[in-house]
Amino acid sequence: MSKDPNSEIPKWKQDFPIEQKEATHVSRREFAKFLTLFSGALAIGNTAIVVKSFAFPEKPLEGIHPICMESEVAEGESFQFEIQGSKTIPYLLINLGNGEWRAFEQKCTHLSCAVKYRHDLGQIECPCHKGYFNPRTGDVIQGPPPRPLPQLEVVIQEGQIFVKAQNA
Amino acid sequence: MSDFRESQNEAHPNKTNTLITGIIMLLILFVLIQIWFLFGALNNALQENLNFAITTAIGSIVFALASFWLLRYLPEPIKRKKKK
Repeated sequence: MSKDPNSEIPKWKQDFPIEQKEATHVSRREFAKFLTLFSGALAIGNTAIVVKSFAFPEKPLEGIHPICMESEVAEGESFQFEIQGSKTIPYLLINLGNGEWRAFEQKCTHLSCAVKYRHDLGQIECPCHKGYFNPRTGDVIQGPPPRPLPQLEVVIQEGQIFVKAQNA
Repeated sequence: MSDFRESQNEAHPNKTNTLITGIIMLLILFVLIQIWFLFGALNNALQENLNFAITTAIGSIVFALASFWLLRYLPEPIKRKKKK
C-alpha cells in the first residue's frame, strides 16, 4: 500500500510553501543596505573610542611604590611586579648590572604579549612576534611593535627599590 | 499604459545595473576607509593622541551619513507586469 506523499509534509509547510532558494537569496539591494549598516556601526565604534577616552581617562601613576630589596634581583635578572591603579598593570624590573636598574611595562606595545628580558642578547624580547626593545630606553629595535615600552623611574634607597612615574 | 520610469527601464535596461554596481562600489570604498580610520584611532588612542581619534570619528560619521544618503539612489527592483 503506497502512502500519500502529502501526508509526509506537515500541514504548516503545505500552507506556507517557501522555497529555500528564495529564503537564502541576498539581492544586491539587501547587500547595499547591509554595507550601509556596517558603515554606521563603524562610525559608532569610532565615536565610542573618543567617548571612552573622555569619560574614563587613564590616570598617570601617582606616588612612589616599594618593589623589593636590591639583593633579591641578581645582575642580568628581571623581577615581575604589578601596581594597582585605575587598572592593574604588570611591570618588569631589570637589573642591567653596574647599578643600572630599569622598570618597563610588561605589555608589548604591539598586541600586549608579556615581554621578557634576555640578558644573553642584552635586549627585551616579545616572544609572540619577535619584537625586540632596548633595555635601557625601551625603544623598539626590531619587529612589529609600533611604540617604545612605557617606562618607570627606579629609585634605590637604603637597598630597597622603589618605582615612580617618570618626571613625577 | 507605461509611465516614465517604466519606459526608462525598458529603453535602458543596463542603467539600473550600472547604478547599483556604482553604489555598492562606493559603499565598499567608504567602509574600507572607515576600517582604516578605526584601526588608526585605536592605535592612536592607546598613545593618548586624542586629536587623531576625534578627527577620525568625525570623518567616520561623515562617511556613514554619506552611505545612508546614497541609499536614496538605490534603484527599485523592476517589477514584472501583472498578467491580466
